Parts: sequence; structure tokens; C-alpha cells
Amino acid sequence: MKQYRTMALPYIVWMAGMIVAPMLLIVLYAFTDKGNDVATIRFSLENFARFFSDQVFMSVLKRSLFIAVITTAICILCGYPIAYVIANRSEKSKLFWILLITLPTWINMLVRTYAWMGILQDEGIINHLLSLVGLGPITMIHTSFAVVLGMVYNFIPFMILQIYTSLTKMDKSYLEAASDLGANRIQSFLRVTLPLSIPGVISGITLVFLPAVSSFFIPKLLGGGQYVLIGNVIETEFLTSGDWNFGSAISLVMAIIILFSMYLTKKADTDPAANGKENA
Amino acid sequence: MKKLIQFKNIVKNFDGKLVLKGINLDIYENEFVTLLGPSGCGKTTLLRILGGFLTQNEGQIIFDGEEISNVPSYKREINTVFQKYALFPHMNVYNNIAFGLKIKKEPKDIIEQKVKRMLKLVNLEEYADRNVTEMSGGQQQRVAIARALVNEPNVLLLDEPLGALDLKLRKEMQQELKKIQQEVGITFIYVTHDQEEALTMSDKIVVMKDGEIQQIGSPTDIYNEPVNQYVANFIGESNIMDGMMLEDYLVMFEDKKFKCVDFGFAPNEKVDVVIRPEDLDIVPRAEGKLKGIIKSVLFKGVHYETIVETKVGTSITVKMMVSDDHPVYNEGANEKISANDFYLDMEDVEELDEATIVARADAQAWDPETDEFISIKEISYTIQKENGSYPVTFSTAAGTSVTVNMIVKDENRVINKEYQEQIFAVNFFKKADEIHESIALETDLKTWANASAWSLEDDTAVEITNVKYDFDSETITPGVYEVTFATEGYEYKVDTTDCYEIGDEVGLIFQPEDIHIMSKDS
Repeated sequence: MKQYRTMALPYIVWMAGMIVAPMLLIVLYAFTDKGNDVATIRFSLENFARFFSDQVFMSVLKRSLFIAVITTAICILCGYPIAYVIANRSEKSKLFWILLITLPTWINMLVRTYAWMGILQDEGIINHLLSLVGLGPITMIHTSFAVVLGMVYNFIPFMILQIYTSLTKMDKSYLEAASDLGANRIQSFLRVTLPLSIPGVISGITLVFLPAVSSFFIPKLLGGGQYVLIGNVIETEFLTSGDWNFGSAISLVMAIIILFSMYLTKKADTDPAANGKENA
Repeated sequence: MKKLIQFKNIVKNFDGKLVLKGINLDIYENEFVTLLGPSGCGKTTLLRILGGFLTQNEGQIIFDGEEISNVPSYKREINTVFQKYALFPHMNVYNNIAFGLKIKKEPKDIIEQKVKRMLKLVNLEEYADRNVTEMSGGQQQRVAIARALVNEPNVLLLDEPLGALDLKLRKEMQQELKKIQQEVGITFIYVTHDQEEALTMSDKIVVMKDGEIQQIGSPTDIYNEPVNQYVANFIGESNIMDGMMLEDYLVMFEDKKFKCVDFGFAPNEKVDVVIRPEDLDIVPRAEGKLKGIIKSVLFKGVHYETIVETKVGTSITVKMMVSDDHPVYNEGANEKISANDFYLDMEDVEELDEATIVARADAQAWDPETDEFISIKEISYTIQKENGSYPVTFSTAAGTSVTVNMIVKDENRVINKEYQEQIFAVNFFKKADEIHESIALETDLKTWANASAWSLEDDTAVEITNVKYDFDSETITPGVYEVTFATEGYEYKVDTTDCYEIGDEVGLIFQPEDIHIMSKDS
């Protein structure tokens, strides 16, 4: 045991330096005033007061959560059927489809988002095609539609992979048992496959909701200047305004919201007995 | 009784491999039928076809007068207890059992009533709210049975349902299953490879092998009158001897004539004779129909399993000369070569060729640095069909050579006149290292000594079952060792309540009705 512990040392050092220390710094910044130096640290809650009292920030926060929820919901609704169809194909064809799903993630996310800018622009390919049949132009870029589309496009592979994994891991004998007990395919799906794949859906939610709620370059590129999300606010505070204390405070609020939502999803996941009783 | 299920010429193949070769089987109402056979015999496939999880390539299944091959599994009035239970892990015991009733949309109070009754039947009344993943194997098993039975099927299929349980629990569940079957009064079709399980529970046993039915009958029929050697061996332990049916009610085995109760064979037809261990009795030698000596005694709890040998196998003892010769080293060519002396039987001399000589002498040459083999280019020898010692020289292209002796000898065989059997083996030379490295010593010893045995009557090979030696292959040192090869004698397994001494001379008796005759060709 002893020597294993010493083997973990580099990781502990790494985690302390790269994860714990920056986190503590954020907390420290969030609870202090602007213009501190090492000698004089003045604690204050002013950053939080400013954030929660400002209507503009609150509506940005609401909008961010709303966009993330919509994105996650669309990812589930589109991702589940895709994952289900792939999971029921032959072994060979499964690999091929999963490769297709993951292929776009090999390309930098920024590049892909720029590509969407080109597609959605007023003089982009969609509006060009529409004009050929005498329609449009429709403004798509710099709308919430564009932002949600960009997020769904970027994050849906994570949802599909998670659901796909939980579906393929599922013992096929459960489906035989359901069929044996008189359930047709739809009943089998609703009563057996779907509940057993919920853990996959939940880890998919975690993987989609988190980046969606804090993403800043997708709203920046596809939403333009008009469409500000909380990620953009944090980015501005750090990079443009230079108010690291306020930026840290918003980051901390986001971290707490995310932690809380993770707690809620985890709770829904790890209570199968309660799940069972509810059906009784 | 009414025919409930009829399998008509069911054929199934998986990727071109025939697993069911035309099964015809009728199953009646309220029967406890067991499909018995080793793994891979097709019993589970047949069950899955009936359950609707597989489709046969040919043939029909008639269920209650109707052809059901195209009826999907969820519409068949058949329920299954799966091998690994397949309980739904996201539901508690109650919901697992209620699953089928909810699908049928039965009223809630009826569902509750039925589930409660099932829980009582399988002795799990206290466990309704328990999560199935927290239950023991035996409890999960009961839930699986309840979940299937609650739907009031006409037929319950059970696919090796007790396979995962320990012995004690398995015995308990066997009795309980039988009790449940009698209580609910429906047909159980039970798949197992455990013959004891089949004998305990079944009304009818279907013995299967390689996708074919061997025998269908009641447990007593199958046990007492197996149709062939396969069934006899599979169902219970048995003594099976070669014999000849001289006329109706008279059989000959071990060169003695015995009365029996079987008839209808051709005169002098060769048959297998089966006598169950519990039908044999050990008596003083003078009173025995067969005479032999006690070879081994094994305590089995309620009885002793005593082996009586009535015929000693034919045996031959040869010498094994163990050396630790060093290979010849040719420094100039950087080669090593080794070989050992070997014995030859007079009859082998005529057919002797170079390949045989290399193999028997174990001649090999190699590069000591890379350990790569170097081919032996030249073998020079002269040999005559006379007892004596003849040198043989092996050399490589680079001139590295070694000379060993081929020793020609007759008298390498032992003939057993009484049983018309002959055994052959020759003395041999081996290096200690090779014996250390042997991973299947008995087989290697047989190969090295060229040991074989055959019947003098029809020249067919007789297996050498005993190889005796008195050394430890791990620590053997150079010297001369004796190795004895022997064929199997006639042995009878006898179940006795008394413990006999090994080596006791005894007699065996049995009644004419205890002799079961099986035709050789079925």
C-alpha cells in the first residue's frame, strides 16, 4: 500500500497546483475588493451584491440557463432516437455510425462554429438556396435560434455517446423477458429499455448542460454582440474590463448553480427503489 | 391426457451448423417434461424456439391445436424462467411480478391479489418491496418463477433455472419446483444437463445429444432400460460391458453365459450389457457369478463405491534409460548436435526410414548462440534384421556429427491368451531434461516407448489406460527406471454398505432382471 501512495504523489501535486489553487484564488478574488495587493486584503460581499441587484445581469443569467435547458432538451430528443437506432444495428455498422457521430469532434470547435457563421449568414448558403426558389432572405445569424443550433450541433455527440453506451450495455435478456411476459415492442421500450437507459441520459445531461451554460464563444460568434450570455459576461470582466474580482464572483455563482443541478440529477439517478415504488 | 404441444420435424441451424436435426416430440397437459443433455445438444435452442425467441428453419410447432411458428413471443401463452433470471433491475419484487399483469391492463386490486398469492406460493411474502438486485440467487430464482406463473400460462419453460445455485439450495428448489408444478397443475418444460435433477422431478425425460432425441420415457424407463450406451452413461453411473446375445433370454459376456429378461435380438448379435452399481452384490468368491478382487473403495456418504476388477488388464514393463548426455560441440562451425540411443523392434527394421530414425533418436542440431535449429543433412547407418546394436551417425552440412546406437530386439510384446489381447512397448533412452520438461508425462511415456495394444481377435486398438512409474519427473536423475503400461481390465462399480479391503478376493452376483441389454447400433 505504502509505495502506491507515493506513486500518487505527482498527481496530488498536479491537482493541488492546477485545480485546487486556482479554485481557491477564484474564491479569494470573489470575496475581495478591487485593487488588492498581497499586503492589504479587504474582504467584501460587494461583488455578489452588485451581481444579484443588477437586473441586466439577472436577465443574462436567466437567458443562459434557459438556452442551456433548451439545448439539453433538444439534445435528448434528437440524441436518444439516434442512439437507439445505432445501438440496434449490427456490430460492424454500429462502429461505423459511432465513427460518423464522433468525426466532427476531431475538428476544432471554433472552426466548426465559424463554418456555421458562413452557413447562417444573410448572404450564406441557406439564404442563397432560398432565394433561388424566390423565398427569404431570413435572418438567422445573431438570433437565439443560431445560438441554440450551434450548441446542439457541438454538444449532441456527447449525449448520443452516453445514451448509446447505456443501451448497448443493457442485457438483451431483459427484452426477451418483457416480450415473454406479453409486452409488445413499444411496451418493452417504455417499461424496460427507457428506464434502464436513464443513467446514460443523465450523464449525457451533465455533459451537455455544463458546457452549454458556460459557453462564451458560441453566443459570441453566432449570437453576435447583441446576444450576451453569462459566459460572455465573465469573459468581458476578465479580458476587457479587467475586473477579476467581479468576474470571479460570477464564476463562483455559476459553479454553485452547476453543482446544485448536478446534485439534483444524481439524486434522480441513484434511487432505483423509489423509481420502482412510484410505479406500484 | 391431451396433447398440448407438438414439435414436428424441427430443424435449426446457426451459420450452417445444424443444432437441431429434426425434432419430433409431443408434450401433454400437466406434464413435467425435462429436456436432458450435455451443453450444445440443442435443448436450450428447442426451448427458445418454443418460447418464440428463435425461429426454426424447418418444421412446425402446434400449440393447443394451432400452428404458432409465426406468433410472436409476446402473444404466446407460454412463460419462461430464464437461465440468469433476467429480473428487471429497476423494479422491486412486487413490480417485477406484476409486470405481465400490468401489460394486460388488469385492474389494480386484481393485480395486487394475484401478486400476493404468488409471493405466498414462492415463500417471499415479506419481500414485496425489496429491490431485486439486493436478493440472493435463490430468492431471485423464486421471483423469476413467480413473475412467470402469475400470468397463469399453460406452459412454463425453465432454462437451467437452478444452475447458478449451490448444491443444498438446488436440492431444496428441486422439491419446491415439483410441488409448485403439482399445485398449479400446468405443463413444465425444464431444460437441464443434470441427470439427477431430471430423475428427481420429471414425469417424462427427453434425452438429447447433438440435436437429436436419443430416448423419451419416464425416469424409471430411462434409468432401467436405456436404449443405448450414451443414455446409459448419461443417466446415472453404470457398468457397461461388451457382450453377445446368444438367443432370447441368454446373453454372454466375459466368456460366461447369463440368463436375462431381454429378447428380440438377432442370434449372436453383439450388444452392450448394462448393470447398475446398486444391482450388484458382493459375496464370497465361491458364490459369485463373476470373480474378482477389490481394486478401490470410495466413501460416498451413504454408501461405498467399490470397484471390483474381474479381469486384469494386459501389461508390459519396459526400461527407461535416463542420461544427462551433453551435446557434441563443434567450436569451428559453432554448432551443437545431440541424439540418443534407441531401441527398435525387429518388425520395425524393414519399414525404417530416415525420418523415423531422426524422431526416435531425437536428433537435433542448433546454433548455441541464437538457439536456432540447423538441419541435419546426412544420416548414415547400416542395419540388419537381427538382434544387435547398429551405429547411426547424424551430421550437419558443416560436418558436426554425433553417433548413437540403434538396438534391435524382439520380445517387445506381451500376449494375454485368455482375453486375446496383445500389448507392445520398447525400452527407450531419454535425457533427464526432456523428462523435466514434459507437460503430459503419461502421453509422452507412451510415445517414447512406442506403446500400443490391440485385440488379437479383430486387430482393433485397445486403449492403454494405466501407465505406472516410480519416479518424480521434476527431480529425475540419470539411471534406469521401469515403466509399466497396461490395458484396462474389466471393472465393476458396486454400491455397498460394507467397506471391503483393497485386494480382497470376492465374487459378484446379480439377478437376470438386473441385466439390461442395449443394441450396439442405436
